[in-house]
Amino acid sequence: MSLDVDLVVDSIPKMLVGIGLTFELLFLSLALGTALGIILLILRISGRWYLSWPTMVYIYIFRGTPILVQIFIIYYGFPQLDFIRNNDILWPILREPFGCAIVALSLNTGAYLSEIFRGGVLGVDRGLKEAGAALGLSVSQRFIYITSPIAIRLCLPAYSNDVVSLMKSTALASTITLLDMMGIARTIVAETYAPYEIFVSVMVIYLIITWAIQRTFGWIEKRMSRHVRSEV
Amino acid sequence: MDAITGWWDDFFWGSLVVVELFFVALIMTVLFGLIGAGAKLSKNRVAKAIASGYTIVFRGTPEILVLLLFYFGSAITLTAIAQIFDPEIKFVDFPPFWAGSFAIALIIGSYATETFRGAFLGVDPGQIEAARALGLSNLQTFIYVRIPAMWRLALPPFGNHMLSLIKDTALVAIIGLEETLFVAEQAIGYTAKPFTMYILVGVIYLGFSTIITLTVMVLEKYANRHLQVAQ
Repeated sequence: MSLDVDLVVDSIPKMLVGIGLTFELLFLSLALGTALGIILLILRISGRWYLSWPTMVYIYIFRGTPILVQIFIIYYGFPQLDFIRNNDILWPILREPFGCAIVALSLNTGAYLSEIFRGGVLGVDRGLKEAGAALGLSVSQRFIYITSPIAIRLCLPAYSNDVVSLMKSTALASTITLLDMMGIARTIVAETYAPYEIFVSVMVIYLIITWAIQRTFGWIEKRMSRHVRSEV
Repeated sequence: MDAITGWWDDFFWGSLVVVELFFVALIMTVLFGLIGAGAKLSKNRVAKAIASGYTIVFRGTPEILVLLLFYFGSAITLTAIAQIFDPEIKFVDFPPFWAGSFAIALIIGSYATETFRGAFLGVDPGQIEAARALGLSNLQTFIYVRIPAMWRLALPPFGNHMLSLIKDTALVAIIGLEETLFVAEQAIGYTAKPFTMYILVGVIYLGFSTIITLTVMVLEKYANRHLQVAQ
């Protein structure tokens, strides 16, 4: 047993072909998940039980079940239902593994993100909101101009962690036949039976992406709290 | 719902495998977490570097990748070792249960490392000094003062790690362990009802998550019982 260096050199470019799909899955479901997270947050803190309860149930279900099961329900399970197969909008999306992966990842990450956003909103000092009210700002003005900027700053570290876990979840798309980096790596291993060379190489690529995500958010955090730092 | 009839016992045994996997991996997770935290807090630079490498690698790579690497990697290594003794042997397989629980424990253990380290550093130094002043030995201080204080700090994040752990057990179906997701795949082969079967798997996992969440709530209440007097 020895490490095959040529195989590593050979297969890294092949796996990098899949990095585009990995990024597509990541950015598309991050954008959709963030939008969903904001909608869920607003419903959750609306103060109306008929809006906040269904949201809580949604969050509970999506955070309480494995993402792999969610992907399987959407990809393998939904075609069993006639109303989805006959739906002209849903079926073109859910017919393709890519659409299923995006839907599953977005729905899942939206549930996590809304909780992160809620943590940020709850962390905003009440005095600031009261000051806003005293200045005559409406509820939505207070939310947009006072709560949001502070809440975004507060939840950035947790948000960046969630982006990393979303990136890790994109690898599960390989279980529904998508050829992202993980899918290509699995195909090469099935052909060559060299798990160490291939999987460790792809592991290094994933680590670099994780590092890049953390550095990017570290930079954004630093930038967003620059007014706090100058006081110190 | 009719489709599930006849599969109840299979799903029951599958759930039992999930529970076994959970507890075995949980014990290993605590172990890896404690070793990792100990290494990170030690003054030994080599141990520190290894522990940092461990948390960076296992927190930064997809779970499925770690799992497949361990499963196929261990098989290829074991086969190579076996062939030294007996060249006739074609293939030795590492049991998916152990490959899976080990891989999952390594992943969650890397998160637990940070939790335990944070909890250790979070204990009020005044409490430790007070224990010393009362004449408690190092060991006594650790057991009676530091651990109860650490446990209070570590419990909420550790509850989240347990939830991640139970959810990660679903991945082990990919390497062929007969847990609920695997049972569902078999049941679908017979009944052609994927939606029903996978929803059932989801419901089972939701049940497990609920049990863990409630258990952690009870434990937290117990750990903080001295703080409730004031209310």
